[in-house]
Amino acid sequence: MGLRSKILAGFLILTMMLVVAGIWSIYELTRVGTSVQKLLDENYKSINAGKMMIEALEREDSAVLLLLSGKWEEGRSILTSGDELFQKGFAIAQSNVTIPGEGTYVGEIEAKYKAYKDLWIKPIVDTSKEGNLEWYFQEVHQAFQGVKLSVGKLVNLNDETMYQTASELKGRAHRAVMPGIVAIVAALIFTALFNFFTNHYVISPIIRTTKAVQDFMETGQLPTVQVETHDELLDLVSSVQRLVAQVRTAEASK
Amino acid sequence: MRPHIIFRYVGIVLLLNAVFLLISCVISGFNSDSAFFPLLYTALISALFGIFPLIFVPPTKQIHNKEGFTIVVLSWLLSCLFGVIPYVMWGGEFSLANAWFESVSGFTTSGSSIIADIEVLPLGLLFWRSATHWIGGIGIIIFVLAALPHMGRAGMILYRTEMSSLAVDNFRYRSQKTMQILLVIYVGLTLAETISLLVCGLSLFDAVTHSFATIATGGFSPKNASIGSYKSVTVEIVVIVFMILSGIHFGLLFAALTGKPSELWKSSIVRYYLVALAAGVTVVTISIHGSQFHTWTDALRAAAFQVISIGTSTGFATTDSSIWPSFAQLVMIFFTLQCACAGSTSGGIKVDRIVLFWKALVKRIKKMQHPAAVMVVKINSVSFDDDVVEMNILFISFYVSIVFLSALILTIFGVDMLSAFSGSAATMGNVGPGFGTVGSMSNFSQIPAVGKWVLSATMLLGRLEIFGLILFVTAKSWK
Repeated sequence: MGLRSKILAGFLILTMMLVVAGIWSIYELTRVGTSVQKLLDENYKSINAGKMMIEALEREDSAVLLLLSGKWEEGRSILTSGDELFQKGFAIAQSNVTIPGEGTYVGEIEAKYKAYKDLWIKPIVDTSKEGNLEWYFQEVHQAFQGVKLSVGKLVNLNDETMYQTASELKGRAHRAVMPGIVAIVAALIFTALFNFFTNHYVISPIIRTTKAVQDFMETGQLPTVQVETHDELLDLVSSVQRLVAQVRTAEASK
Repeated sequence: MRPHIIFRYVGIVLLLNAVFLLISCVISGFNSDSAFFPLLYTALISALFGIFPLIFVPPTKQIHNKEGFTIVVLSWLLSCLFGVIPYVMWGGEFSLANAWFESVSGFTTSGSSIIADIEVLPLGLLFWRSATHWIGGIGIIIFVLAALPHMGRAGMILYRTEMSSLAVDNFRYRSQKTMQILLVIYVGLTLAETISLLVCGLSLFDAVTHSFATIATGGFSPKNASIGSYKSVTVEIVVIVFMILSGIHFGLLFAALTGKPSELWKSSIVRYYLVALAAGVTVVTISIHGSQFHTWTDALRAAAFQVISIGTSTGFATTDSSIWPSFAQLVMIFFTLQCACAGSTSGGIKVDRIVLFWKALVKRIKKMQHPAAVMVVKINSVSFDDDVVEMNILFISFYVSIVFLSALILTIFGVDMLSAFSGSAATMGNVGPGFGTVGSMSNFSQIPAVGKWVLSATMLLGRLEIFGLILFVTAKSWK
């Protein structure tokens, strides 16, 4: 292999190590970005929706108690706003089914909330239900706890997934940083190796040849210059040796 | 010393590593796991560092003694160093100390691990972990013998440090032919075990990785409960058979497989090796029956697997032997120090040296009784001169001293005495598990970082048979 190819190979190897590490780091960093987006889109939205639904349910539960105590106007007003808040949260959760098992919980919440709503949508004030705490504890409160539990399951599922994604994120961030570190260390070692080889196989023979030519000019004797490789340097040394032989022949013929 | 020549030969080893890294990378790619890029990048770097010296340095047939030693020792060290890269790049439990420990443990075929939950590792990384065993197991053989024709006296010194004179005597061929025999036996045993394990119902991945670990007498398993996770007697029997075979001198195995099975039993070393294992299994069975296992069959099954696993320096496990009675544990510590035959992939002091030691001891006692008598130490009709006997005794003394020193350092950092001593002996003998907190069903993760570096050094000392590494370190003053 020629000297040019050898030196080119050295630079190509160095470039390849750095380029591949760079591409990989970019790829991993892009995936880190995607994971953060995923974390926000898939989990954070659902967790927020869950919190909204729980807030709405608690308001509705208080409203039902107001109705039981005969306060029709305040009760109905809170119920309406609570229902609106719940529907808003539920709509977000329904449109953000992204994790396996999330759809089941959303369906469960829908069914249980419908059953719960059926209990308080009918008139309570001025009926047998007014002041009926037994009815409240046996039916309304049970239904309220049921919906709240289902919403809790949805929030837990998203919490767990968020933790997993965050752990993955940690791993990906590590994998995004490591190629850079490894590439820097490898490039430094490789540069030292490359420097050693160019010194040993290129610079040293050139220095030896130069010194040999100087010795020839001063003493008329050409010391042997050893070149281990079969490349341009060997050609150079051979040419110098031929030139010296020609000079000697020319001097002898004078 | 010519560094460029050293770089050329070490580069060839890095290329061998790159091939296995690439295979691991393909496995990782098929499973779409997270180790794909760490393995690919390490394969690339190993290949580039391996190819570059080949481009610049022309081949040479003349290698000097120091260069030979440096090539062998640097090959081990650089293989371990490049082996660290996929682990640290992947992350998880792999800090630098942990990754170095795992890599050294793999290449030296020790099988001691720092991983608490092995099964969470990606398949590509698990394959690389097992492949380091296989490269390490075959590397020792290929390196010493492939380099021999070019290495003159250095080759012979290496040959003597790796294999006892008796082991060398069992190869009655030229070194090149010997290398071919070793390769055939090594690859043949690996294939035979893989097929046997597939027949037993293991997946291809499990069969290959366990075969790599068995034939190299390594001990890394892709399962948390090692071989015990299969709960299968047939799997255990297959692994036991191949562990025993891997502990026998490969030259003798070759002779046995090529129509001279009597060669095996004719060798007093093999006879001692097999009888010692049988005796170990018997006494451990008696010791654990009643206290640990209610039936004799269960006790025999557990004792046979654990004793043979330790006695061949493999290190697989089916049960937690660290809760066994002290007597059983001491018997197993003896096997941890002794291990199997020279000329195999096994570590430890080796059966050959133990036999030579006892024969020298008997000779010395007889000499005291009959001072005028002329006596020689003989094994298999081969006489050993006093130099070899002295070297042997020195080796054993030095070996035990290093185990003691390593244990001493571990205790400074708060490791309990049993874990420190058994862990040091297990790493020095390239066995794998010890007792106490580093038992067969535990790992080395709780050892402090300094302790992991110390144990990694003992693994390398054990693999390079002490003198190899010492000669490398003192190369400057070596004439």
